[in-house]
Amino acid sequence: MRVLIQLRPSPDLVAAVAGRTATATAADVADGLPGVVLDRSYGPVAVPRPMPAVPGGDPLSLNQPLAFSMAPHEASVVVRGEIGDDEISTRVSLLPATRRDVVAVYADPVIESTPTCGGDGPVGDWHDVERLLRVTDLAAEGLDGSGVPLAITDTGINAGHVSAALGRAVTVDRERSWNPAGVSGRAGEFAVDHGTMCAFDTLVAAPKASLVDLPVLLSRRSGGTTMDGLLSDALAAYAHLRTVLEAQPAASRSLVISNSWGSFSPRWDFPPGHPGNYSDNPAHPFNLIVGSLAEAGADILFAAGNCGRQCPDSRCAYPDRSIVGANSHPRVLSIGGVDTKGERVGYSSQGPGRLAPRKPDLCSYTHFAGSGAFGADEPDSGTSAACPVAAGLVAAVRTRWPSAALSPAQLRTLLRRTADDRSDVGYDYDYGYGVVDVAGILAALRRRAARAA
Amino acid sequence: MARVLITVRLPEGASLESAMSALGLEEDEVDTGYGLVPVDPGGGLYALRVSESAGRRVGGDGAAGPHADPPIEPFGPPR
Repeated sequence: MRVLIQLRPSPDLVAAVAGRTATATAADVADGLPGVVLDRSYGPVAVPRPMPAVPGGDPLSLNQPLAFSMAPHEASVVVRGEIGDDEISTRVSLLPATRRDVVAVYADPVIESTPTCGGDGPVGDWHDVERLLRVTDLAAEGLDGSGVPLAITDTGINAGHVSAALGRAVTVDRERSWNPAGVSGRAGEFAVDHGTMCAFDTLVAAPKASLVDLPVLLSRRSGGTTMDGLLSDALAAYAHLRTVLEAQPAASRSLVISNSWGSFSPRWDFPPGHPGNYSDNPAHPFNLIVGSLAEAGADILFAAGNCGRQCPDSRCAYPDRSIVGANSHPRVLSIGGVDTKGERVGYSSQGPGRLAPRKPDLCSYTHFAGSGAFGADEPDSGTSAACPVAAGLVAAVRTRWPSAALSPAQLRTLLRRTADDRSDVGYDYDYGYGVVDVAGILAALRRRAARAA
Repeated sequence: MARVLITVRLPEGASLESAMSALGLEEDEVDTGYGLVPVDPGGGLYALRVSESAGRRVGGDGAAGPHADPPIEPFGPPR
């Protein structure tokens, strides 16, 4: 545990720390404190002594008019260090007794800056994401998504907009695309909306992937509203994707599925424990087909959701554990969001998940100027953007690593193992195993290729 | 909840008509536009979208369910 230790050393040393006579280091002030690993990079800080402003005031009370003295014989000095978690209470009790200059030991909690939230302007642009994902390095290894079907289950894709925003041609695989019953329109020719943003974001890391357009969120089937689809539409889309997967030769089979959607509310679900429930029930038909498709060789990625504690989406209605249903499936990658500075965005949902507790799995980049699908100044945002960015990276890997050579389960493990860990102790519910790290992925793939040779 | 999902085990290559016949479902109880969706065709598992009352009637009696069919929404932009 990180601690701040307040000491009252000799007046000469206090004066030196306060900068009056000479410089002083943490070691000068506090070397040899038993059980404390001193942080020598942290310069000691002089702290004034509070004193009653009025003669005769209580010398121990802070609830009165105060004056503050930096006089060397009255001020104290603070240093920073670390004490083992298993001996913190003993050390805190014994330190003032064993070293007369120790006044007190205080916690040094982590303080956080204000995270990026919905409504904030973009943090960087998609070229920053290209750089962070080392797209040049991926391309140099032949990992550009060529020939890899990349399915976008969303509101449909406008390929013309994506192509104009990227400044290059894009490929839409119309043969493999599919519409829910009642949805008209051709693959790649839908209105610019959320699905267009997702398509753009997949192509950052996999510029030559073949987009498979599945506009499940455009369904107007009875029971839905005008702005969403139904889970049954996604179920039918996955049944179609099984045929896409199984039509490929087993040796070169690959299919990446990006899903930037989910259920915000338990209102339309059966309660947890009911056999027909979706949110917590691995036996729901959609959760079954997700698991079976992953086993058959598909890489399935779901956005973790936008219900992070710091600034949740106003639609979030689950009282806790907001990563629900397939978004928390053990055989998918659940993707949280970080901005291009590597900081978790405040709306990125935190774990644990409902079907599998260790959700999100990973974080990827979001909230950057990209597709312009929602306006020229609006960022590609939400874990909606983080998920397709990660899906593009997976598609890039699949260019040379079909599922017969690296199963979806093996690839999930590789991505988790190589992630840039953002916590002190491995997995955490904010970042999962960490932020996707292309340098680590490439190194792991090279080692794997060398072993196979 | 106007409509729900049910699953049923049928021989591979089954049709919507054969599923309705096996379960005793009327046409106005079934979303025929949705059809019969293969969840695990190798294992003979299929899904149908039916009225809630039909789902309750046949669930546990030849079919599994009723299962929720909740709305799904895009996760963005955050509101």
